[in-house]
Amino acid sequence: MDSKQANLLQGTLDLLILRALGLGELHGLGISRRIEQITKGTFLVKPGSLFPALHRMEEAGWLSSFWGESENNRRAKFYRLTKAGKRQLEVETEQWTTVALAISNALKAT
Amino acid sequence: MALWPRLTTTFKNLFQKTRDQSPPEVDPLEEELHAYVEMITDERIAAGMSASEARRTVLAEFGGIEQVKQAVRDQRAGVALELFWQDVRFALRQLRRNPGFTLSAIAALALGVGANTAIFSVVNTVLLRPLTYPDADRMVNFLRPSSLLADNLHNVTELHFFQRQTGIFKEVVAFDSGGPGFNLTAGRPEQLRGIHVTEGYFRVYGAPILLGRTFTPQEDSPNGGKVVVLSYGLWQRRFGGDSKIVGRTVSLGNESYTIVGVTGRDFIADPQADLWLPFQFDPDSRDMNHFFYVTGLLQPGITVAQANAQLQVASVEYQREYPNAVEANFTIGPLRDSIIGDARNSLMLMLGAVGLVLLIACANAANLQLVRATVRKHEFAVRSALGAGRARIVRQLLTESVMLSLAGGILGTVLGFLGMRALLSVSPAGLPRIGEGGSAITVDWHVLGFTLGISLLTGIVFGLFPAFSASRSDLNSTLKESGNSSSAGLREGNARSLLVIGEVSLALVLLICASLLIRTFIALREVGPGFDARNVVTMEMSLNGPLYQTAAGVSELVKNGRERLSSVAGVEQAAAAYWLPNDVEDATWFQIVNRPIKDHPYRSKWMSISPGYLSLFRIPVLRGRDFTENDIAGAPRVALVNVAFARQFFPNQDPIGKHLKHGMGVDTIIGIVADFHNSGIAKPADPMELVPIAQVSDLYTAAYSNIQPLFWLVRMRSDPHSSIPAITEQLRIASEGFPVAHIRAMDEVMGGSTARQRFNMLLLTIFGAVALLLAAIGIYGLMAYSVARRTQEMGIRMALGAGRSTIRKLVVLQGMRLALVGVVAGIAASFGLTRLLSAFLFGVKPWDPAVFVSAPLFLTAIALLAVWLPAARASKVDPMQALREE
Repeated sequence: MDSKQANLLQGTLDLLILRALGLGELHGLGISRRIEQITKGTFLVKPGSLFPALHRMEEAGWLSSFWGESENNRRAKFYRLTKAGKRQLEVETEQWTTVALAISNALKAT
Repeated sequence: MALWPRLTTTFKNLFQKTRDQSPPEVDPLEEELHAYVEMITDERIAAGMSASEARRTVLAEFGGIEQVKQAVRDQRAGVALELFWQDVRFALRQLRRNPGFTLSAIAALALGVGANTAIFSVVNTVLLRPLTYPDADRMVNFLRPSSLLADNLHNVTELHFFQRQTGIFKEVVAFDSGGPGFNLTAGRPEQLRGIHVTEGYFRVYGAPILLGRTFTPQEDSPNGGKVVVLSYGLWQRRFGGDSKIVGRTVSLGNESYTIVGVTGRDFIADPQADLWLPFQFDPDSRDMNHFFYVTGLLQPGITVAQANAQLQVASVEYQREYPNAVEANFTIGPLRDSIIGDARNSLMLMLGAVGLVLLIACANAANLQLVRATVRKHEFAVRSALGAGRARIVRQLLTESVMLSLAGGILGTVLGFLGMRALLSVSPAGLPRIGEGGSAITVDWHVLGFTLGISLLTGIVFGLFPAFSASRSDLNSTLKESGNSSSAGLREGNARSLLVIGEVSLALVLLICASLLIRTFIALREVGPGFDARNVVTMEMSLNGPLYQTAAGVSELVKNGRERLSSVAGVEQAAAAYWLPNDVEDATWFQIVNRPIKDHPYRSKWMSISPGYLSLFRIPVLRGRDFTENDIAGAPRVALVNVAFARQFFPNQDPIGKHLKHGMGVDTIIGIVADFHNSGIAKPADPMELVPIAQVSDLYTAAYSNIQPLFWLVRMRSDPHSSIPAITEQLRIASEGFPVAHIRAMDEVMGGSTARQRFNMLLLTIFGAVALLLAAIGIYGLMAYSVARRTQEMGIRMALGAGRSTIRKLVVLQGMRLALVGVVAGIAASFGLTRLLSAFLFGVKPWDPAVFVSAPLFLTAIALLAVWLPAARASKVDPMQALREE
């Protein structure tokens, strides 16, 4: 396994999933690939963390799901953001930006 | 996370549990995960991998579909609740499938919890429940720690002195203890418990008043008139709850008393009373007789310790005022302590004992659970292979054990409570606050909470250990073993042995304690009290009225009564006195004429008796003579002393002919009587002087008539109860209408004096027996299990030539080795622990060799029996059968 890949920070996974789905509906493998792509390969989400997170977020009402056809004609479960999910994405983005800014300021400070 | 969606999904998940557990073809989660796997596989095949290679690598990277499914399920909303239900249902199924295990575990726990519930319900009632008085925590009793008086009695000058200490006490009140009683003469004669109180008594005790009022300060002063306050019970019983009773009169001992009030139903009077009368003390009284109790209400914010310190300082003032007063050493203690008295020690002993029983029960249940955990090892391995984490398995096992302990707890509560009520109605134990036959002992939230608490704790304690040891097992080797059970894991085997050893040693401790108490009780029974109680009947009469304020009146009544009684058929002899021989509470200061006083006068017990008292009780006059009908007022004053008196005050002299001087005059000693146990059966005889009832001063006679009933004593030729109606009738005639009460055989009185020891002994014997039974079951269970598992080994041994007796010996030795280690540990523990018991023992040492030999032998015999049964079974193994089985 690639040692460069960072461990997922606690709470980061939710934001990444929301962000990935913000660009359109996807199935589980699609989400995992999309995250890999948008983080330029820094994060590789394994099914053991992905699926529990998806089901938890669906229960929280951020995601909805439906069964559809994958690109290679397999029956797959697709997820999309709900209204609450979109709001959550905004909230978490804002929080993350604040935290990231604060941390990088802290690291730059001498 | 938003609450509402989470709640609704929790609900949905609970009722649609099957969704993710149905067969794969309809399980959406399964399908979702498979789709994921298939998609990557498709990509890899497209990239040129072989189909099987692609599938293998994907699955390996995926990390186990079942594990991912479990991870998804575990974070679902409501999963905790769902898993809990799942555990409960599974546990119920498991327990139902093994009724033998379930029943024996529940029985062991029910015994343990039941014993604890029983004792705790008594502890709760006696020690924990708050007193019913509103200011109970500020109420204190005045004590006499260093007194020769048996009780905390005080006199009027002391009371008035206490009442002046307003910086310490908000109020100080006095009451007597039942006193002589009163004869309700109108209609059916009845002796009533009338308590004299000072006016503030009802205020301090917060007595609710149903009708009328309590005494006014005027009514509680000399010539305040004859007034009474009735108790709710008497008002209902004798006056039909008449609401216009206040202002009416009631006839007590042929005198009329005006009823001024009735107390409320909930008032728990201490001491118990049918009615109350005012003391009517003279504020200038210098009466130094100690004959009542004193209770005070502390000023708010003052502690008992502060009050005691201030009282100590103030007592100097009292000594200045009454320089002749001896024992001006005043102390107070919380009312609660006075009421509870020494019952605390007994109850603490019992709590300790039941704690041990519960430990044994826990060990037993843990052992059963361990055995089962071993049998179920395979099941656990399969479950963890299917994705169950270790915590999940531990939780499952804990659910099972807690359910067992709760079932045991419920059964135990019922058993324990009924058992305690039954026991208390048989053996009342002389415990305070428990009501008639223990009727005040009820189940309240404290008891239920306690039981629930110890049940849960028990379940967790006995469940946790087996649960961890079961879940520790190595998955791979267990699965490979595939049900083969030839050797139990060494560690678990050791754990079980340790539990059995622990059980045996604890059981032995209890057994030894019980044996010591049994020996105590036997020793008490065998004490010659110094008098013969058989065929003696005692009864009490209240001497009301002016006639009995004089010695002449009382001695005339006694003479008349004795003559009438001796004419009743079956009566051998009759006598009268103010005390029974086993419990003489009065004492007096005296000087010996012609002997200088050293520090202060001598003091000894003192009682007045009628002629015939000594011979009726078969108390021998060793030297000199007994009292006769001629020792009357006006004749030379005479006295008898007991051997203890002679030994203490006349060590190298002959007491006969010597003169004793005290407040009543100078007595000449005319004889020495044998010692009898005049302070209770467990104590040696105190020095005592006896005088004829006819020669007592009027002052003393009046004091006695006001504080004590007169005891009539009759020795019957045969059955004590046969002539009671004739006896009471003759006494009624002699006293011109007084009833007698508390008619008891003297044997019964003596039995009552050892009630507490009897209660202690009975309970510890029961606990010891329970412990023994549990320990025996423990050994039996372990050996039976071990034999069952080693059937094959036995078969091989026999096939190789071992005889049946060799096999039997093998098993017996293995079991007895455990038992003996337990016995040795138990003896060692008992040596340390029985010392704590010494306060409860009489006539036997805490390390009594007979007990320390016989109890271990008895336990060993029981253990041998418990081991013999499985050993016999092992020796009957058919080697062919055993070898073919596997």
